[in-house]
Amino acid sequence: MSENKFEFVKVDDSASEHIAAPKYSYWRSVFRKFFSSKLAIVMLVISGIIILMSIIHPFISHYDPMITPNVNKPSTWYNPPSAQYWFGTDHVGNSLFDAVWVGTRNSLMIAIIATTISTVIGVIVGMFWGYSKKIDNFMLNIYNVVANIPYLLLVIVLMYALGRGIPQMIFSLSCTTWLSTAYFIRVQVMIIRDREYNLASECLGTSMTKIVIHNIFPYLISVIMTQIARDIPSFISYEVFLTFVGNGLSEQDASLGRMVQRYSAYMNSTPTLFWIPVAISALISVSLYIVGQTLADASDPRTHMI
Amino acid sequence: MKKYIIGRVIKSIISVFIVISIVIVMLFTLIPKTNIFKNDTSIQKMKGDARTTYMYSKWDELGYLDYVSFNEMCTNEADDYSACVALKADEVEKVIARYEANNYKIETLSSGQVFAYHEFNIFELLGHFYGKVLQIDHPNKIKDESNPDLERKYYVGNDYNGLPAIMCSGCEYKYQVYFDGSFPFIHQNVITLDFGTSYPTKTGIETLTVINGGQGNQKSVEQTFPTGSTQKSPLIQHSCRYKASSTLDKMDKNKFTDNYALCDSSYDSPSMITTSYIFGISSLVIAYLISIPAGIYMARKKGKIADKIGIAYINFLSAVPSLAFIFIVKQIGQGFGFPDKFPQYGFGDIRSYILPILILALLNTSGLMMWTRRYMIDQSNADYVKFAKAKGLSESEIFNRHILKNAIIPIVNGIPGAIILCISGSVITESVFAIPGMGKMLPDSINLLNNNMVITLTFIYTTLSVFSVLAGDLLMTLVDPRIKLTEKGD
Repeated sequence: MSENKFEFVKVDDSASEHIAAPKYSYWRSVFRKFFSSKLAIVMLVISGIIILMSIIHPFISHYDPMITPNVNKPSTWYNPPSAQYWFGTDHVGNSLFDAVWVGTRNSLMIAIIATTISTVIGVIVGMFWGYSKKIDNFMLNIYNVVANIPYLLLVIVLMYALGRGIPQMIFSLSCTTWLSTAYFIRVQVMIIRDREYNLASECLGTSMTKIVIHNIFPYLISVIMTQIARDIPSFISYEVFLTFVGNGLSEQDASLGRMVQRYSAYMNSTPTLFWIPVAISALISVSLYIVGQTLADASDPRTHMI
Repeated sequence: MKKYIIGRVIKSIISVFIVISIVIVMLFTLIPKTNIFKNDTSIQKMKGDARTTYMYSKWDELGYLDYVSFNEMCTNEADDYSACVALKADEVEKVIARYEANNYKIETLSSGQVFAYHEFNIFELLGHFYGKVLQIDHPNKIKDESNPDLERKYYVGNDYNGLPAIMCSGCEYKYQVYFDGSFPFIHQNVITLDFGTSYPTKTGIETLTVINGGQGNQKSVEQTFPTGSTQKSPLIQHSCRYKASSTLDKMDKNKFTDNYALCDSSYDSPSMITTSYIFGISSLVIAYLISIPAGIYMARKKGKIADKIGIAYINFLSAVPSLAFIFIVKQIGQGFGFPDKFPQYGFGDIRSYILPILILALLNTSGLMMWTRRYMIDQSNADYVKFAKAKGLSESEIFNRHILKNAIIPIVNGIPGAIILCISGSVITESVFAIPGMGKMLPDSINLLNNNMVITLTFIYTTLSVFSVLAGDLLMTLVDPRIKLTEKGD
């Protein structure tokens, strides 16, 4: 044994700190997971087209259900789909193609704004609700009262009391849904907050904000996404239904529900008039729902393990 | 446990009160009170003073305000009634001053006559409503000037069917407690709820009677009346109420020996509430029969093709707007010759029922299937399942004997709660099929601005849902004795 057979190794601080794990980026994994689903991509394209059409087309068509220039020209009524009128014309000679996009825009707008309101309020309240015992007791009592009321009854009575219109509709729809989102978040926060890895992070001196952003939030994202994916179609459904039974939007506001209601009289004589709005409402709901669900699955960090 | 249930019941009653109070305040303050006349046909023919008087007396009747006509002003506050009616200036001014001191507003009709009204504030609105909602019958209830020597007593006797009943003279209802052949077999008229009258449709009829009373044509039954005469008549004698002697006519005297001659009639079609329940309960049974086996099968074939089809079906149902789904199924059903609307064939024909019940059931299946599958899969990862496998039990034995028993518990908890779902689902279905049930009544009464009806329906829906949640929790403790609702388990 002689010393020259050995070499001295320098102690490398940076090497000992190095963690031998594959590089992981949360958002990149989310998108990789999302785009691995072909169905989700198709649905994303469909919902993208519908959303873009409903934003852009009303600026070109300037459709207003109260303006009926062809009301005295019977030849323009109930036209079947043609090159000029892609979806045909309705009982007053207006192009259904124009009407559908304005209606979709309003219905989508109501659903998206109501979802945004209930999600933002719900998440903020839910975070505090999950953390503080005092708030928990107080909020649970409120939740028990509100959760007991059938939601449909509440929305109908609110719409009745506040009057018909888009802002009233958004308010009635999101008036109590934020509470169920908050309750959902509260449960999740309570579960995740006391997990061992969070305690370990805390012991190692990780700051609270870092724990919230890196440890808790990724779990909440998938929960929130699931909730959003459920909320948007259900709000569209409520708008369509309420307007159909006559408790929703008024005559001046075009919406999918208003069209279904108005054209249901022509269900047998001019089927396209009735079924196209129904089909669009079904298509937009299903595509947004599937996109949302896939995104929710993809944003759950547990699915990122290979 | 008893303490816990009483606590829950009290909490439930309080939450019903809160909800009703909020709804009353909203309806009476947010909706302009002139709106209620939009659908009233009789007011459109009126002009001038008649119209004003009609409006104020209607508002008084519906509980918006307290309206006092000039005549009543004189009766209540004048020192000298005849001077007041004769429009003596100083007497009239004195009366007006007294009313104004009590926060009443004075208005003058174009004929020169004055009247007073006091608009209720929020607390008076609620006080007015709750003050009359609970009606307790007692022998001193009837005040009839045309019949001063009315006997006031309770007595036990036989009713017209020969069954024993507790009867009353001097009460509002003749039969206080009685038996008959319909559920729940023993009935009472001692405590009744009064939610006011329906307006503008079915004007003057109590809202609960509108919802609870029969529909369609009157149905006559051969029956014996207290006078001994036997005739065919639609009257239900158990429902007879007091009628003032001055209004009794010859036909009443022909049938009844006493003043209790104001009876409800029986009809050939079930009431709104019964109609809703026929649809709700039968669809619920079908929904459970479909979705629990389907959910179990999906859980057993997790990840296989059957599971994927099931998930696609669940996603489709939760995403598609329910109205679109109803129309799609309805269109398919019409191809098989089912009617488009319920009244087309009416109550007597089985074909009227099939499509709405099927749609209601299918609307319920998606949620039920999803949760059954979820619970089954959650349970199949539990340790006791691994142990059962290690013991060598077969797959079907493990699923049917062990997992199902544990997974069924949360499903049982949801059964009473599903009643809520089938009610809100029925609002949609009943509107589309024009079924004369309670679900269709809600949007209808809102379109007609029938405030009392909306309050009544809110009360019914909220009470049902609050107590079905409680019933669900209690049912769960019955199925699984391990579950304790109280922490100490007393």
